[in-house]
Amino acid sequence: MTMTEKILARASGRTSVRPGDEIEAKPDVVISYDFPGYTDVFFKEAREEFGVDKVADPKRFVLFIDHMIPAAAPKEEELHQNTRAWGAKQGVPVHERKGIGHQVSAELGYATPGAFIVHFDGHVSQLGAFGAYAFGARKGVLEAYVSETIALRVPATIKVVLTGTLQPGVMARDVFHHIVRVMGPASCAFKAVELSGPVIDAMSVEGRQTVCGQAMFLGATTMLIAPDAKTTDWLKGRQTLDVPAVFPDADAVYERVATIDLSDLAPIVVIPPSPANTRDLADHLGLEVHTGYLGSCASGRLEDLRAAADVLRGRQVKPGFQLHVVPTSQAIMAQAAREGLIETLVEAGAFVSSPTCDYCYGRIATMADGQRAVSTGTLNTPGRMGSVDSEIYICNAAVVAASAIEGCIADPRPYLATAGGAA
Amino acid sequence: MSLSNLKGRVAWVFDEADYDIDRIIGVKNIKITDVQELARLAMGDVAPGFAATVGKGDLLVGAPNFGYGHPHYPAMKAMRHLGIAGVVAESFSPGFFRGEMAMGFPLVTCPGILAAARRGAAIEVDWAAGCVRLADSNTTLPFEPLGAAERGMLEAGGLNPYLKARMARMKGVTA
Repeated sequence: MTMTEKILARASGRTSVRPGDEIEAKPDVVISYDFPGYTDVFFKEAREEFGVDKVADPKRFVLFIDHMIPAAAPKEEELHQNTRAWGAKQGVPVHERKGIGHQVSAELGYATPGAFIVHFDGHVSQLGAFGAYAFGARKGVLEAYVSETIALRVPATIKVVLTGTLQPGVMARDVFHHIVRVMGPASCAFKAVELSGPVIDAMSVEGRQTVCGQAMFLGATTMLIAPDAKTTDWLKGRQTLDVPAVFPDADAVYERVATIDLSDLAPIVVIPPSPANTRDLADHLGLEVHTGYLGSCASGRLEDLRAAADVLRGRQVKPGFQLHVVPTSQAIMAQAAREGLIETLVEAGAFVSSPTCDYCYGRIATMADGQRAVSTGTLNTPGRMGSVDSEIYICNAAVVAASAIEGCIADPRPYLATAGGAA
Repeated sequence: MSLSNLKGRVAWVFDEADYDIDRIIGVKNIKITDVQELARLAMGDVAPGFAATVGKGDLLVGAPNFGYGHPHYPAMKAMRHLGIAGVVAESFSPGFFRGEMAMGFPLVTCPGILAAARRGAAIEVDWAAGCVRLADSNTTLPFEPLGAAERGMLEAGGLNPYLKARMARMKGVTA
C-alpha cells in the first residue's frame, strides 16, 4: 500500500484499502481556525441541527485564532470571543497569537508521522511534510464535529520523484511552482501525491512544509513525504500523537509516477491571475513593483527569513517600497531574533510584524489600484491583497528581498553571491 | 429519491481556466455572511448589473478547473440567493467541488460545455439521461456520473441532511 492507503486503512479500522473505496475514517485530530461562516457555523449547526452540545473526545480537536489577529473591528473580536468560549466549554484547546495554525500545529506535535488529520482549509496538507495524511475537507469538517468519523473516498496516489540538485538561490517555493508548471494545475485532481527523491532527501523540513502545503494547486487532496531522520530530529521533544508512522511498501501501486529533474531549475515567478501560471523569473526581471510580502503559511519560516536577510544585509529597501515581513510563528520570530535576522531586516527598512494570516488576503497592507506586489503569500488572485486592479507576483523569499532593493522584480542570486558571513 | 432536472438559461459563461470564484464577490468581501449583501456584491467587479439578468433556476458555465484557488463559500451563497441552481463546467477544482456539493449545490462536470454554451441559451441537466442539453443549438453532451455518496448528498439537499439521515440509520442499526 501507499502511505495514504496505510493511514486511511488504520483510521477506518481496516487491514487494507484501495483507491475508490468509500470509507468512514476517524481523524486523529480535527484542526480549525476561526473565520466567519466556518467555525461559527459549525459550532451552531452542531448544537442546533445535530444536538451535539459537546464534542466527543475534545483532545482530538484544536482551534487556532490566526486570522483577524489582532482584531480591527468589534465584530472580529466577537468572533474570537465566541471561539474562546466554545473551546473553554468543550475543553478544546484554543491557540492564539502563536502564529499561523498550520505551522503551530506542527510545532505542537500534531504533525505526527502516520496521523490522519482534517481541517476545512486545504493548506493543512503541509503536515504531510511529516508523513501525515492531512486534508482540507471544507464543510465536511462538520461531520467530524458531530460524529466520530468522516466519510471519504480513498484517493489514488501519484508518486512524484524529484531528482537532481538545486542550484544556489533556488528555494522550495520554486520547486513547488515548477511542479505545477510541469504537471499542470489540475494534474493531480482528487489524488494524493507522495513526494520523494534526492531533492526531497536534501530539503529541509521547512522546505518540505512549503511544498506540501500547496498541494491544492496541483488539484491534490494532499501531499505526503515519508518520515526520515530530519523528521525525527524536528519532532524530538514535541508531544506527538500516539499513532504509528507509515512508509510506502516496495510494491505499492501508484496511479502514475512522475520524475522531474530539478538540476537546471532557476527561480520562478507566478504571474496573475492564478497559481497555475509559473514562469521563469528571468523573463519578468525589471517589472516595477511597489510592495513586497514575505510571510504566510507557505513561506515565512527561518530559511525564508535567512535568505531575505542574506540579500538585505548591509543594503536598503528602495525608498517608497513597502516590504512587509511576517514570520509564520512566534517560535520562528523568536529564533529569527536570536539569529539577528530581525535586526538585519529592520535595519534594511523592512516592516516586521508578528505572525498573522492577515497580510495574505489583503486585510492589512492593502494595495490600491495599479499597485503591484511580489509575494510569498499563497495566492495571486486579483483582489487577493487589495484592489482588483492590483497585481501579485508570487516568488521565493529571496526574490521578494531583492525586488525590495531594486523596486522592480529582481534576481536575488547576485546579492546572495556577495552576502557577507553570519548574521 | 431522484433529482429534479436543472432547467434554465446560461446566466454567465466563465471562460477563464483555473477561475478563482472568490473574484465573483471580491476577496475583500469573503468575511461577509449576510446573503443579501453578498448577492448585491456578486459580479460587481466582473459584470455590474448581473443580478437583474438572472432567472430562478439559471445555471453558470465554467472552464476547466473551475473553482481553483481558495474557494470560499460566499460567492456561491450569493449566486444561490440570486436564483442560480448549479454550475456546469469542463472540470472542477476538487476543493470547490467538495465544498459546494456539501452545500447541496449541483456541480456537473461536462467536457465540451465551454465551446457549446452561450450566455442566455436554454440549458438542461438531465440526471436520468446523464446529459446536458442545449436546446437552442440542438446539442447534447454527456456529463461525468456522480459517485454514490455525491449523488446521495445532492438528493438529500446537502451534507447536513445527508449526515442526519446517515446518523439516524446508524442509530437504528445499533438500537
